[in-house]
Amino acid sequence: MRKKQLESRQRFDMRMLFFYAVTPLLLGGLSLHLLQLQWLQHEELALQADENRLNIVPVLPVRGEIVDANGTGLAMNKIAYRVLLIPERVDGLDGLLATLSETLKWSPEKLKHIRKRIQSSRPDRPVLLDDKLQWQQVSPIAARLHHFSGVDVEAGSYRYYPFANLTAHLIGYLSLARKSDLDAGYLSTEFIGRAGVEKSFETHLHGSPGSQQEEVDARGRRIAVIKRAPSVMGSRLQLALDIDVQKAASEALGDRTGAVVVLDVETGAVISMLSQPGYDTNRFITGLETVQWQSWLNNPEKPLLNRATQAAYPPASTFKMLTGLAGLEQHAHLATTTTQCPGYLELADRNLRCWKRTGHGEVNMHSALVHSCDVYFYKLGDQVGMAAISDTAQKWGLGEKTGIDLPPESRGIIPAHRPYMMAEMSSRSSKRRHWFRGETMITAIGQGQLTTTPLQIARLAATIANGGKVLKPQLLAGADAEIQHQIDVRPDHLNIIRKAMRSVVATPGGTAFRPLASAPWKVAGKTGTAQVVKMAQDDQKRSKLSRDEILKRHRDHAWFMGYAPYDNPKVAIAVFVEHGGHGGSDAAPVAAAIIRTLAAKEAAAK
Amino acid sequence: MIRVLRSYDWILLAGIICLIGLGLITLYAAVYQGDAGLWKRQVIFLGIGFSAFLLLCMIPLRFLGLVSWPFYLLALLLLALVPLVGDIQMGARRWLDLGVMNLQPSELMKWALMFVLAHWFASREANSLQNLGVALALALLPASLIIIQPDLGTTLVLLFAATAMLIASGLPWRWFGLAVTLGLASLPLLWHFMHDYQKQRVLTLLDPQSDPLGAGYHVIQSTIAIGSGGLFGKGFLQGTQGRLHFLPEQHTDFIFSVLAEEGGFIAVMFLFMLYTILITRILIISYRAHTRFGSLICIGVASVFVLYITVNIGMVSGLLPVVGLPLPFISYGGSALVTMLAALGMVMRVAIESKEHIPWQRPGSPLV
Repeated sequence: MRKKQLESRQRFDMRMLFFYAVTPLLLGGLSLHLLQLQWLQHEELALQADENRLNIVPVLPVRGEIVDANGTGLAMNKIAYRVLLIPERVDGLDGLLATLSETLKWSPEKLKHIRKRIQSSRPDRPVLLDDKLQWQQVSPIAARLHHFSGVDVEAGSYRYYPFANLTAHLIGYLSLARKSDLDAGYLSTEFIGRAGVEKSFETHLHGSPGSQQEEVDARGRRIAVIKRAPSVMGSRLQLALDIDVQKAASEALGDRTGAVVVLDVETGAVISMLSQPGYDTNRFITGLETVQWQSWLNNPEKPLLNRATQAAYPPASTFKMLTGLAGLEQHAHLATTTTQCPGYLELADRNLRCWKRTGHGEVNMHSALVHSCDVYFYKLGDQVGMAAISDTAQKWGLGEKTGIDLPPESRGIIPAHRPYMMAEMSSRSSKRRHWFRGETMITAIGQGQLTTTPLQIARLAATIANGGKVLKPQLLAGADAEIQHQIDVRPDHLNIIRKAMRSVVATPGGTAFRPLASAPWKVAGKTGTAQVVKMAQDDQKRSKLSRDEILKRHRDHAWFMGYAPYDNPKVAIAVFVEHGGHGGSDAAPVAAAIIRTLAAKEAAAK
Repeated sequence: MIRVLRSYDWILLAGIICLIGLGLITLYAAVYQGDAGLWKRQVIFLGIGFSAFLLLCMIPLRFLGLVSWPFYLLALLLLALVPLVGDIQMGARRWLDLGVMNLQPSELMKWALMFVLAHWFASREANSLQNLGVALALALLPASLIIIQPDLGTTLVLLFAATAMLIASGLPWRWFGLAVTLGLASLPLLWHFMHDYQKQRVLTLLDPQSDPLGAGYHVIQSTIAIGSGGLFGKGFLQGTQGRLHFLPEQHTDFIFSVLAEEGGFIAVMFLFMLYTILITRILIISYRAHTRFGSLICIGVASVFVLYITVNIGMVSGLLPVVGLPLPFISYGGSALVTMLAALGMVMRVAIESKEHIPWQRPGSPLV
C-alpha cells in the first residue's frame, strides 16, 4: 500500500515536470511572435498607425481679386463658412441630411441637388454641402460636430461680384470642380473659373492650395492640427475696365437688349464691355439650381450670350466707311466726283431703295457718309466690286477674331471673297445659288450676309482713329499695345472718312447731330440702322412668339460707332441696340452718356 | 494568526500584487480618455476580489472536497436550466435571471468541474478505463451543454482544464495521443455545427485582410497597435491607436494591445515574467501540496491561467481566432477578477496547509 502510494507520488511528480515546461514554451512562442511584430514589422506597422491617425487636409487658396482701372472691386472674396461632408465617414446619411437640412434651412430642391452631388462623388473626398454661411447659421452644427460624423465646418472665402449683372459677361463666374477637373489636379472643393476673365485668367487668379496635417480619431474627427503648409493666394488682376463707364453705358441703355464696347484707340485697352441683359453671377457660387440655369438658357433674350463678342449682326451704315475706303483706293478721283440720288437705284430685276425715299439729290463721298446715302454706296459698291469690298473689310479686322482673351469669340461673316468662285462652288451643292450684282450693292451698305460683332466695330472705329493700326483688344490694365497689323492707308483718304464722321456729329442734318453735337468732347462717328424685316418673317413662320414680341422683332437694330476727341482721339466706341430702332436716335445717345462720363472723369482728375 | 501569516506564500502574493498594479496602470491608459469611472470600479472589484481571496484562504481544503459533488450537481442543474429559461444576450443563451442578479452557470461549472475532478482523482489515477470514463463523463456532459449555448470560449477552458488534470493524474500518453488525433479528425464535424459568427471568426483569423472593415478590423487594428509600439513603446498615454479609438474593446479583451503599444516589447516581457512567476509558483505549491486534491486544484487553476493568457494574447496579436477570453488581472471586468482572486485564494490555502500542521489533516497521507 505504502509502495503503491509512493509510485503514484513519483509518477505525479514526473507529470509536474511537463507542466513546468508547458508555460515557458507557450509564452516563449508568443514572445517570438510579438518580437516579430514589434521588431521586424515595427516600421511597417508604425506607418500604418500613422496612416490611421494622420489625415492630410487641403487648405484652399484665396482666389485673386479682380479690380477695375480705378481699383474698384469687381470680383471680391468674402469670409464665410462652408459645410463639407466625407461620404465614407458618415453613418446614416439620410438622418444626417435631414438634420442638416433643418438646421441650414435647405429647400427640397437644394436637398435633392446635394444628394445628387454626394452620389456622384468619390466617397473618400469631401463634398461641399453648403457655402456662404454666416457664423450664426453654422454654429449649431459646429458646436456639436462630434454628433455629425463625417461633417466638417470650415472657414473660407467665397467669390462675390459687387457688379454681378453689369460685369457678368466680362468677368464670368466660377463653379465647383467636376470629376474631370480632379484629373487636372484640382481638389473636389475648389471653385474654378468657367467663363469670362475668371476662365481666361484662371491659372493667374487661382493660387495654389496648401495642406494641413491633422490627427483624427477612428471616426474621422479632427483631434489636433500637427503641421501646416500654407496655401498661396492667387494674383490680383487689374482690368482696363472702368466700372463708371460701364455703369453709364448700362444706365443709358436702360432695359434694352444690346452691347457697348469702349476701347482705348492707342492701346486697344477695353475700357467698357457691356452686354445686356446680364445675369446674376453670384448665384453660381452655391451651385446654381438647375431651374435657374434652364430659365437663363431658354430665355429668348439670351442673357448668357455675350453680345459684344459672341453675337454678330449686320453692321449696316457703319460699314460704309470701308466701302468708301475701298473706292478711294481704286479710284482716287472719287474724293471729288459727285452722283445723283433720286431715292432709289434701278436694277434689271428690282429697284434698290435709299432710306430717304425722296432722295439726297447730288452727293459726293463726304455728304453721302454724313447723310448715310444708300444709293451712293450701291453705285460705289457696284463699281469697286465684291472682291475689293471684302478685301478691305478683312484688312480692317472684320471677319476674323479680334483675339481678345474671352473665348469663345465670333468671327462674323464677310460674304464670298470672290463672287464668281462662290457661284461655281454653289452649283455643286443641292441648293443652286448665284451671286447677284444686287448682293454686292447690299453688302456695300452693310446689309445682306455681312455680319460683325460690336467689338469688331469698336476696333474698326479705333483703327480709323489711330491711323490704321489694327489692335488686339486688351483686358488688363497697363497692357502694351499689340498691333496685329498696320494698314497702309493713304492719310488723305483716311482724312476724308474722318472729316465725314466728324460732320455726322457736328453738322446739322448729320445723323448723330442731335445727341452728340453738344457732347463735352468733339466726337466723330457714324450711325447705322440694320433692317431685320427678313428675320422677322422667319420668326413669324416659327410663330412661337407673341404678337407684341413679333412687332418688336420687326424693329431695326440700331448702331453707333465713333471716336473722341476728334482732334486727339482717345477712345473708340461701339453701341449696338438689338431691335433698338434708329442709330441716330437710339444708339448715339448711349455714346453721348459714355463721353459725358469720360469727360467728367478727366475733368475731375485734373 | 501570526502563524497563518507566516505560512502564507509571499512570492505568490507578490506576483499577484505586481500583476494587479500593472493591470491598473494599463487599464488607466485604456480608459482615461473615455469612461474613467471604469478604473474606479475596477478598484472596487479588487476589494471584493481580495475579500474572496482571504475568505478562501481560510476554508479548509477538506471542506471543499466534501462540497465538490453537491456543488457540481447544482451547477449541472443550473446549466441544464439555461436552454429552458435562460436569457438571450448577443445571440447566445448563457444567462439565468435569478431576480437579484444574472448568473452565468457555465462560470460556476468551470470551478465545479475542477473540484469534482480533483476529488475524483485524489484517490485514483487516470490509467484505467473505468476511472477515465467517469472523468470524461463528468467533463463532457457540461461541455456539451455549454457549447450549444453557444459559448466556445468557456467550453475550451473547461476541456483544457480537465485535460490538464487528467494528464497530471497519470493519463497514459498514448491515450492522450489517441484523443488528440480523434479531436483533430472531428474538426470538420465541429465546423459543421459551428454558428456562422464562429465560422466567421475562424475565417477572419486565416486571412484578416479579406474583410478589413468588418470582422478583420479588430485584429488588424490591434496588430497595428502592437507592432507600432516597437521594442520600447510609445510611452505612457502616448499610444495613438488606443487614444484615438482605433482599438476595439480596448479596456477588456484587447487591453494587451494598449500595453504593447505604449510599453513596447519591454513591457510585454515584464508582463510575461510576472505571469511565469505566478504560474511557476502555483505549480511549486502544487508539487509541495500535502494532498493530491490540493495539487490537482492548483493544476486546474494554473491551466486556466495559461489558457487565458495564451488565447487572449494569441487572439489580439492575430495568431488565434477572436474568442472572448480576458487577460488575467489586466482586462477590465469584475466577475473575472473576483473569480481569479478566489481561485488564487484556494491555491494559497493549499500552500498554507502544506506548511502548517492542520489539526484535521491526517499526517503523512499524500492522498485525501
